[in-house]
Amino acid sequence: MTPLVLALNLALSFAALAALALSLDRHHRDAFLVRVPKGRARTLRLAGWAGITASFAAAVSFEGWNFGPVQWIGALTGAALLVVALLAYRPGWLRPAALAALPLALAALPFALKG
Amino acid sequence: MRQGFRQSMAWLHTWSGLVVGWVLFAVFVTGTATYYRTEITQWMRPELQAGATFDAGRAADLGADFLKARAPDAVGWFIGLPQPDKPLIEVHWWKDLAGPFHHALLDPATGAPTAARATQGGDFLYRFHFELNMPPLWGRWIVGICALILLVSLVSGIITHRRIFADVFTFRRTKSAQRGWLDAHNVTGVLALPFHLMIAYTGLVTFALMYVPWGVTAAYKGDEIRFFVEAQLMPEVRAPAGKPGGLVSLSPLVAQAQGRVSETLEHVAVYNPGDAAATIVTIFEEPHGLAHLHPQIAFDGASGAELGATGIAKAATHISASFVGLHEAHFAGPWLKALFFLCGLMGAATIGTGLVLWTVARLPKPAERPGFGYRLVRALNLGTVAGLPVGLAVYFLANRLLPVGLEGRAETEIRLFFGAWACVALAGLLRPHRAAWREAFGLASLLFLAVPLVSAATTGQHPFDGAARFLGFDAAMLAIGLLLAAASYRAGAPRPRRAGAAEPRPAPRPAAHRAQAAVPQARSAEGAEIRRRA
Amino acid sequence: MGQPQQGRGIAYRMGVAGRVLLAALGGYGLAALLTALLSVTLPLPRSEAVAAATLPSFAVMVAAAIFVFASRSLARAALGLGALCLLLGGGLWLVQGQA
Repeated sequence: MTPLVLALNLALSFAALAALALSLDRHHRDAFLVRVPKGRARTLRLAGWAGITASFAAAVSFEGWNFGPVQWIGALTGAALLVVALLAYRPGWLRPAALAALPLALAALPFALKG
Repeated sequence: MRQGFRQSMAWLHTWSGLVVGWVLFAVFVTGTATYYRTEITQWMRPELQAGATFDAGRAADLGADFLKARAPDAVGWFIGLPQPDKPLIEVHWWKDLAGPFHHALLDPATGAPTAARATQGGDFLYRFHFELNMPPLWGRWIVGICALILLVSLVSGIITHRRIFADVFTFRRTKSAQRGWLDAHNVTGVLALPFHLMIAYTGLVTFALMYVPWGVTAAYKGDEIRFFVEAQLMPEVRAPAGKPGGLVSLSPLVAQAQGRVSETLEHVAVYNPGDAAATIVTIFEEPHGLAHLHPQIAFDGASGAELGATGIAKAATHISASFVGLHEAHFAGPWLKALFFLCGLMGAATIGTGLVLWTVARLPKPAERPGFGYRLVRALNLGTVAGLPVGLAVYFLANRLLPVGLEGRAETEIRLFFGAWACVALAGLLRPHRAAWREAFGLASLLFLAVPLVSAATTGQHPFDGAARFLGFDAAMLAIGLLLAAASYRAGAPRPRRAGAAEPRPAPRPAAHRAQAAVPQARSAEGAEIRRRA
Repeated sequence: MGQPQQGRGIAYRMGVAGRVLLAALGGYGLAALLTALLSVTLPLPRSEAVAAATLPSFAVMVAAAIFVFASRSLARAALGLGALCLLLGGGLWLVQGQA
């Protein structure tokens, strides 16, 4: 089921990119008014790259090497645009939105597996 | 072209982007619309109801009957079979390979010319995006050159952009006009960078043999057909025998071909239809996959015997075809297609913001009279970025408002598209610059918002009456109209004129803490950096 | 154009025009020669060699254009591109001569 896999990709990419954005001083300050603590930055960066990798793995395992990478990049682009829009207009919403995206991705997973 | 690698690349990025920006903006907008070419065409022929299935054999026979009567002496017939999303038989014929190519749309039930209104529909936008409504050869070369310069601009832009990863999420919309435009240009450019590179390169690959025929020249002595046959892109073709001959009925061959290939049969081509060595080629839709490869089977026109078929393409050919397939994105389901559409819009936005940034970064001092070049760029920016949407909305409105039986109706729609576009570009010269942007975007917004209303009034079909089939199109028109209204509002809102200028009014709440938190930067240094990079 | 302080003399303009010309003609020439040479030398079936040789030609043009504009002087860029074209042209002439 492509739409579900795409939803999974979008949610994972969004959470991952939000983590990466918040690992940067500038955007952490946008959302929380303070610089990002060192350890937290590392955790966020790690989580971000892990999420992007997981999204790639999901895309390729569900859609194959043909369509998987295309869908992965498409989802990354769409999710990144959302992150930028939130940072510019509602920076405070970024963290809750990213945290909400994770269970969404998890919820899409069993359906994607079944389809 | 200044000292230093990065500086010279910044120079190259600025100027290569500027010279092709206007053409590319139009190419990106119409190309992005082409993702929904079928839906646009359906909307523009409201008389036809999509969804029915058709007997391909009967449709092929009806097409051949029409062509036999209309163009028995043609050297080529091309019959597009009706599909659920396109309930028409589309026939092309030509008496010379160099053209002109004639064209007619037939009712799949009767084989007579369709009663649906004459329009080029989404096909016009599709062809415009690589031919610019010019003679095909000219248009394709111009768009190709622009696409190559776009690639140069993308690569030099990547080199120029030092902190590409650190800045990837940065959009400082409240800081200064220049910062805002630079960030918008960077964000739309960088976030969709894979798409931009892909779309420019794959677009070039689509016409690669036209732009770079030298491989075929060297290896095939210029015999392109031989190359296509050997690459399994088309079956063997025959030269005409020079004596007249009969043509078998197409429907048995269609059935035979359909028994061999599981994909949908899209076209039946007949080469030299009146000749003893006539060849009939059945052309199928591409199998599910990235590659743009259409299976084909060829038959003898006199006996119906099979002449040959395309085999499986080898690696390099398959990769080339996958490039073309990526460009077209026929494989994409509705959601992925929406992402492609979004990426296309981001491409248009990258170009549009880049064009505006050029003028913002060179804003003359208040007392200074802007030079001719500056005024020219500004006028072209307005004419292209705000004029094209007006043209598009007028194209859709003309489709609903022109009388259905009007002589030369399809051409009139297109003339109105260009006419409206030109009017906006010219009227923009007469108005103060800021007012021109506000008014042009406002006009485009009103026109787009009017499309669903005019459509409902003229066709009697609207969502409130249970006719939901154009709901998606209507929603898209409303969304575009609202977006343009926002653009018009923003274009009229007072903004800081130069980098480092103070905010003219108190910033809204979410921006307030950001302004305090922002890294203090020397204003002059910031201005200089923008100027260097813009 | 809006930047009179930067001394845009006739020499500068000629230099820009020269680089544009060199990037366009040199880049296209290089790509054409490389495509032709690879089409007849790659150890693949003929159609595959042509497809494989044509595909990267646009990247070659872009690389050539970047090289021309990044070069310290027009002469250096012309020399570099000219030498490469001569090499490829010579190779093509040798290969075609044998065939």
